Parts: sequence; C-alpha cells; structure tokens
Amino acid sequence: MSTAPVSATLFSYQVGFGDCFLLRFTYAGGERRHMLIDFGTTGLRADLERSQMLKVAQDIEGKVRDLDPEARLDVVVATHRHADHISGFATKDGKGSGDVIRNLKPRIVLQPWTEAPEAEIDSLGPVSAGGRALTRLNSLKAMQLVAGKALAYAKANAKSLPKGVADQLAFIGQDNLSNMSAVLNLQSMGPNVYVYHGCDAGLGAILPGIQVDVLGPPTLRQTDTIRKQRSRDKDEFWNLAPQRFSDAVDEFASADSSLFPGFKSVKKGRLYTEHRWLAQRLDEANGEMLLGLVRALDNQMNNTSVILLLRAGGKTLLFPGDAQIENWQYALQSKLADRLADVDLYKVGHHGSTNATPQGMWKRFSKKGGVGTTNRLTSVLSTMHGKHGKDEKNTEVPRRTLVSELKAQSNLLSTESLAANVMCHIVEIDLRAGVAKATAPRRRKPAAATPLPAQ
Amino acid sequence: MVFHPGRWSSNAVIDPIPAPTRKLTIVAKDPGFRLGGPGGPMAFVQVSVPAEILARGPTGYRIKVVDYNATEQRVYVNDQAYESPTGELIDPFAPTGNETLLDRAYQARLLANPNFHAQNAYAIAMRTLGAFERALGRRVSWSTGGHQLHIAPHAFAQANAFYSEPDRALMFGYFRSTRGEHVFTSLSHDIVAHETTHAILDGLRSRFTEPSGPDQAAFHEGFADIVALLSIFSLPEVVAGAFGKDGATAVKGKTITLVAARKLAPASIKKSILLGMAKEVGQALDAGERKALRRSVEITPDEGARMRQADDEHDRGEVFAAAMMNAFVDLWVDRIADLGKFKGGNYNLASVVEEGARLAGQLLNMAIRALDYCPPTDINFEQYVAALLTADREVVPNDDRGYRVKIKESFAAYGIGPPGVGCDEDGCWKRYPYQGKLAYARSNYAAMTRSRDELFRFLWENRDTLNICEEAYSEVLSIDPSSRVGPDGIALHETVCQYVERLDFFSAEFKHHFDVERPDGMNSRTPLTAYGGGVVILDQYGQVKYHIANPLKDGERQRERMTYLFDAGLLDPADQRLRFGLTHQNRMGA
Repeated sequence: MSTAPVSATLFSYQVGFGDCFLLRFTYAGGERRHMLIDFGTTGLRADLERSQMLKVAQDIEGKVRDLDPEARLDVVVATHRHADHISGFATKDGKGSGDVIRNLKPRIVLQPWTEAPEAEIDSLGPVSAGGRALTRLNSLKAMQLVAGKALAYAKANAKSLPKGVADQLAFIGQDNLSNMSAVLNLQSMGPNVYVYHGCDAGLGAILPGIQVDVLGPPTLRQTDTIRKQRSRDKDEFWNLAPQRFSDAVDEFASADSSLFPGFKSVKKGRLYTEHRWLAQRLDEANGEMLLGLVRALDNQMNNTSVILLLRAGGKTLLFPGDAQIENWQYALQSKLADRLADVDLYKVGHHGSTNATPQGMWKRFSKKGGVGTTNRLTSVLSTMHGKHGKDEKNTEVPRRTLVSELKAQSNLLSTESLAANVMCHIVEIDLRAGVAKATAPRRRKPAAATPLPAQ
Repeated sequence: MVFHPGRWSSNAVIDPIPAPTRKLTIVAKDPGFRLGGPGGPMAFVQVSVPAEILARGPTGYRIKVVDYNATEQRVYVNDQAYESPTGELIDPFAPTGNETLLDRAYQARLLANPNFHAQNAYAIAMRTLGAFERALGRRVSWSTGGHQLHIAPHAFAQANAFYSEPDRALMFGYFRSTRGEHVFTSLSHDIVAHETTHAILDGLRSRFTEPSGPDQAAFHEGFADIVALLSIFSLPEVVAGAFGKDGATAVKGKTITLVAARKLAPASIKKSILLGMAKEVGQALDAGERKALRRSVEITPDEGARMRQADDEHDRGEVFAAAMMNAFVDLWVDRIADLGKFKGGNYNLASVVEEGARLAGQLLNMAIRALDYCPPTDINFEQYVAALLTADREVVPNDDRGYRVKIKESFAAYGIGPPGVGCDEDGCWKRYPYQGKLAYARSNYAAMTRSRDELFRFLWENRDTLNICEEAYSEVLSIDPSSRVGPDGIALHETVCQYVERLDFFSAEFKHHFDVERPDGMNSRTPLTAYGGGVVILDQYGQVKYHIANPLKDGERQRERMTYLFDAGLLDPADQRLRFGLTHQNRMGA
C-alpha cells in the first residue's frame, strides 16, 4: 500500500439539524480508508422521509464497500454525546442505522476523554486524580437528568412560556437526553480510544500518510493551566448548575404545596387585575432563566467535542464538532495552533452558531478570502434553519452574520442547499498538489465541490 | 384604590402637618447576620422611609410590589394595613405587646410571612432611591418613563435576582440552601440595594447598558456594589453588631459600650463581615466555602490588576468596588484615630459606628454626585475617578481631610488613575477651556434649562466648538437641575445636560469615518453602530462650566470598542430582559 493518499473525498450528508461526514482517503494503488465523523440528527427537513437516517447509513455502507464487499469502516469519530451527533448510531433489532454502521466493523472509535468509563481514564492519564474526573462524569449524568426535566417542563408549560423559550427548552432537552443505545453501540462496535488535546489518537497504522492532531478537548489539568482568576467557578458549575435547575423545576412539580402554607394566595387563573401585567412577564422571565441554565449546560457538553486536524499531501482539514470558545481556548494558545493557518477545509462548528467559530480561530485561517483567492478555503456546514434560536433575537442557527462571512470568505457548502433527492455534498480534494508543491511549486487547484444524486 | 375601609371614615383625624417619613421594620443585612455571633438573634430594625398612603402590595408612588411567584404560579395576597382606622401611618410588622425587635419568636413569625418580605424589599428600595435623591437634590426617574418600579419579592425558585428594564421590575428569586432551607434574595439588604441601584443608574445614565467596552458593564456592577456596601453603614445596629462589645465603662453616670482597638485595624475591618456582600446567599450556595458573593475589599492591588482584565463583569466590577472600599477603610481608620480612647486602649463603640456612618454617607453622596460628571456613553473606570474627584471638589474645594488624595491613591493602587486627557493635576476634570468661542446669542438660558429642543439648538449652533459630529444623529437625553450648598454656604443651582451621538455605518466605512482601520478579521459588510456624547454642565449664569465628553469622532476609542465587541461576540445587542440576569446567574455559580 502507498504511504500517502492521493486524494480525499468528503461526503457531507443531509441529516437536517445534525452532523454526518464520511471522509474517504484514496491511495495511489486504489486502496481506500474511510472515516465517519458523527452521525446524528435532532430534526429532519419536512421534505425528507423518516427513514432518512437509515438511508444515510446504507449510503455510507455502499460507499465503504462499493469496491470490496468485505471492506471495513476504518475510523468512527463521535465528537461528543449530543443527539445531533450520535443518534444515528442507535441500534434497532439489527435493523437500525446504528446496526448498519456496526456491521461495517469499525477498526477504531474515537471519543472525547469525558466519555471514557471510569477505569480507563487513569490509563490514559489525562487527569490527576479520579475524584475530579469522576465529578465531571457524574455531572454529565446529572445533566442528562436535567435534560429530561427540561423536556417535561417545556411540555407542561407550553402555554405559559413564550413559544420560543418552550421550543428551545424542548430542543436542548431532547438533544441532551441520554441516547443509551447509541452510546452502548459506540462503546462496543470497535476498540475505543478516548482522546484529548495533544494525545496520539492511535491512527498511524490505520491512516498511513495522514497526520492526525487532536486539538481538543483539553483535560482538566490542561484547562487549569489557562484558567484565570476564580478557576473554581467552572468546577462548581458542574455541581451547581444541574442542582439549580432541578431545584427550580422540582419546586414547580410540588407547586400545590405553597411556599407559604396558610397564607392567603390566589392561583394564576384568578389573579387580581393589578397583578396580571407583571405576572405574565415573570412567567416569561422564569422560562428564559431556566433556558439560560439549560443552555449553559448544553454549552458545557458542546465543549467536550473532539477537535480533529487532519493533514495529508499539503492539505489541512479541520473537524471541530460543536466546540465553543472554552474548548478552543487551550488549543489556540498551544503550539498546534500554528497549524490552523493552513486549513483548506473547515467543518463549520456547531451548525453555524456564532459561538463555535471563535474569532481567535477564524483569524488564523490564511486561505480565507474573496472569490478568486488562490487555494481558497472551503467551508462545509451541516444545519437546518428554524430548529434552534430565533431570528428576531439574533440567536438563530445558522447565524446569518456568520453565514454571510463564510460565503464572503470561503467556498461555502451548506446541507440546506441540498435538494430533497440529493443525499450529500461531495468535496473532492487533490492531495497530490501538496506533494508536487514540495518539489516543484505551482498553483494549487482549489477544492472542487459537486452535489451527487442520492443512490 | 381605597385599601383600608376606615381611611376616609368620618372619625379619621388628619394630622395638619404630616410627617415626611414613617417607620417600617426590615431585616438589617440579611437573616444570616447574627448579633453577637452565630448563636445570636437576627438584626431587625425599624428604618425611616418617605411617608405615603400605601395601596395593597405595598404600592406607593415609586414602587409597586407584585408578589407573584412564577414557579408556583400564584400571588401571595397582601392585606396588611399600613394605616390605622384613624388615618395614622403604621408599621404592620412592628413588635406588639411586650415583643422587641430581637425576640426570636417575633423574628420567626415575620420571616414566615410573605407580606413581610414584600415590605422589606419595598423599604430598602425606597431608602436606596432616597439616598440618590438626597445626594442629587432632585427627583430621580426610572429609565422606563413610568413612575413606579415593580418588585417581585418571590419571583421564581431560582438563585438569582435582577433588574429587568423591559419589565419595569426588580425580580428576586429564592432557592434552597445546601441544608435544604429556603433562602430569599428579597431579604438581603445588599441584594435589594444592589438591584435597585441598577434600576436607578439606568434612569440616570440610560446608555450605560449599551454594548461598549468591558468597563461599562462592569461599572454597573461595581457601582451597585459600592452603593449597597456603603448604605449598610446607615444601619448602626449592623455595624455595632458586627464589631461586638468589649466591655463598658461609665462616664458621668452614662454607660458607654466599648470596642477593642485591635478590631479597628484596617486588616480587621476588612475581614469583618461588614464588607462581605450577600453573605447569607453566598453561604447557602456552596456550604459556606465562599462566605460571601463578593468580598471586594479583600482583593489586593495585584489581584485587582489581574481581575481588571477579566471577562466577567462582576470580577471587573469588584476591582472598582475594591478601590473605593479600601479608600473607605483607610479614611475610617484615620477618623477613628482622632477619637479619644478609654482604659485599655478601647474605643467608644457608638462613636466608631457614628464616624463610619458619617463617612459612608459622605462617600455615598460623592459617588452618586459623580454620575453628573460622567460622559453618557462608553464610561470607563478612569473617567469615573475623575468624575468622583470633581464632584467632591465642587462641594469641598479645599481637601482639608485629604479625602480626594486618599481616594485617588486607592484607585491608583488598583491601576485606575484619572484619564490622561482633560484632567488637572489633582485628577479632576478641567473647566471648559473654550468659553470665549461659544455662541450664546441665539439661546435663551431660561428655556435651555427646561427645553430639550432649546438646549439642542445651543449644542447644534456650537457643534464645531463642542466637537459634535454633523453626520451622526444627535439628541439631548436629559436636562436636570443640580442644587447644592456651595462652599460659601449659599445655595448653588446648576444644570446638567446629557446628549448622545449615534452613527450607523458598515465596517468598510471605518477608515472614512474614523481615520483608522476596522478591527482585524471583521468583514467589510458588518453593520456597526458607534456612539458618542457628553455632559454639558451650565453654571448659574447659563455658561458652560464643564463639557465632559466621549466624542463620536475618536477613532482610537471606536476601534478599541469595536474590537472588544467583535472579539467577544457582543456586537449584537443582548436580550434586555436578562441583561443583568445572565451575568448574575453566572456569578451564582449556575
């Protein structure tokens, strides 16, 4: 087998509000390696069939095995636990989309270190003592409990909460709910490696000629080195935030027992005239505060995302999952940050929300620029407008200002532009250009992009 | 609304000279504060608030309490009588019979009554408003344009309390402590005073909530802390209770309670519970480890310099509060040193407390009056220090007690000096230097003190001299009278006018408007809004005495501001309802 790939092909699948990317490396002898980065959704477009995820899984199977019916999926990356990144891995009596992926017998499964079962954390050695890591892991479990409560609260209060607030509570709740089937499938479908900033992902033998850098997530010890004043607050957060949310909604659950038993009170339907104007606003503020708590938890989960930087043949591909600034912060001050200057292909973070494309990262991309820029950056965005956030509050995902910037500065491919009968965008990347450049410099061919009809 | 059926009854006796104030019972500091140590009683006190005939709520001319709990979706009805059948204003929660304010059963009864919580929040908010109106010598309006600010004393089961401008409300949450007990933020003097100050400051400087540099948001927090901390000293029971008693002595048949000198060293005072904010809330949040949400005065200058760079608005605000409170402690210690000592080197506790109260009152007045000397947009700590020193100089030209020197030194130790431009050697704002170039001929002074249009005409006529941008949309925000007693004992009347400038443009035009490049990485189509503006202070002759401005056409400042907002992802305005709520939520650890 050749030691370096000659081309890379990225299949960016239509999964509504979610992520699913199949990356194929082709070597000179025709051999291939396939890496699946995330496979999940929390909402499909109305014009798609409910079986879309199974179709995507079958399409992936077809692409992995079109030349060799025994071929295996080489790498699976589950960047973080959110449903819009892993729900497709759920199994269903051997017929689910996760079963199809499982049958491709992945050689290795990469997940963030926060997903490692307790015993394996110490073996990786990314944390000092089990206690704090365990706290973090327990908190993640507590958070999933919160997600369930948020969902229930949103449903029970759909009429009294502002519509946007109820919708977002339900959305984030749904996204954070433990998808046990997918989690178990990921743990058992192949050897798991739990990664963190700067670690060796163990892909050298599986992906020859490809340098894989793990930029994130940082370990607790790494994070501590860049924390400023009041570093305790973040640790406290993991304990306090789920507890605060539970307190707030549990109080609601026991609302029939008044905070001041024995004192005269009237329920909402019988308020005096002078109470009503403010009461409605307090209901809204309460909902928005609850949403703020849940959103903060959601951001913490996003920040467990694996950030992968792949380099081959002079090309650099960046897959940051949903990492936000707190995750990026460590990577951006590390030695690895210099490699961001060469990024040719950027998987847009967190479906196009502003907070996942931090300025500190974006500014480093040297290949961004207007139409006609040599070797112009390609951005790949998997998203669905209307699912998350609100236009009028400037919280919509994808954020209009970011999309505008991506369009202006890169060749942007968004899954929103795919027709209903088109399964994915395809980005072809010639990796020979880099090799040639090393010996005889010449203008590199920009990455081409063509949609492929569904199979 | 006629609340008490007997109010207008024929047998009502109307006092021909109504008292200006009334007494109402509140919790001094919070229920976590105990007199004489942890096992002692809580400190309940009766305080003076403006006298008025209250409607149900209580609802008065500036505050409307609506005790709706969004978590339980119910209102706790307030049927307390605030007037006697004969028309006298009464305190429905005053001790009755043989009870005293320190009786535990009495205190427990009040804490279990939601109507008392409502009264507590009402009274503290009114006292805080009163402090501002006294300092400024005028009525202070809410930013909403309405006359009454809502207070929800049990707004929701969340560890948060905040001011929401769109809801015209202060919302106070409650939560369970780590021991499972309910903690009510509306019972914390510090928190109620802090949130009320946010609302008052928004009324006085409505543009301080706009996206700006990191100091502006922090200023709101730091200033609210300063007001809350200093106003505690107006409750002598709290100050005396925190020190505790160290014996007594008799002088001319009168018993004098003593306090040990060792408790009055700066380090001891700093450690004292007096300077911890929201103690009960802080303790309840994390089992006592944090002790208080904010302990500004313990922040060292080095630590402060690091925090000054923090993203968190409360962290930055604490640096600001730390400098002020350290100045307070130093000045207080100086004043205590002038007091006579008793046997064993002890001091008269009442005199120590009185000196603290007097000093705190003076600093509070100074801090509040300084707002009149602050630019209306893009405030930074340096400009506030200049305003603080100027406000004091206007009242006390000779700094005999060295207040201004001490305050200036304290802020400088935390890296906050007066701005390099526009100040004299004392750090005060310079008087307006271009008096002779201003045209007054077409302006009517009397009308200028009342009419925004007339004042704007004056500004517009003098726009070149005053450096007001023609391309921007400018407007006069407010005209306020400022009355005080001058150094010669004669009443002095001046006029404080705020104007703002606003320019909407695309980042491609940055160079054109400001002669500097747009922030790195910002694309050319990003819509931007730049602000500028100033305060014009007219003296008693209608002449411009001060012009304190952040002019719109200041490329360096505009670039710095835009870079900060762009890098921090704050170019889009935040949700106004949770403008303060979310920062407080983060501060609460959740």
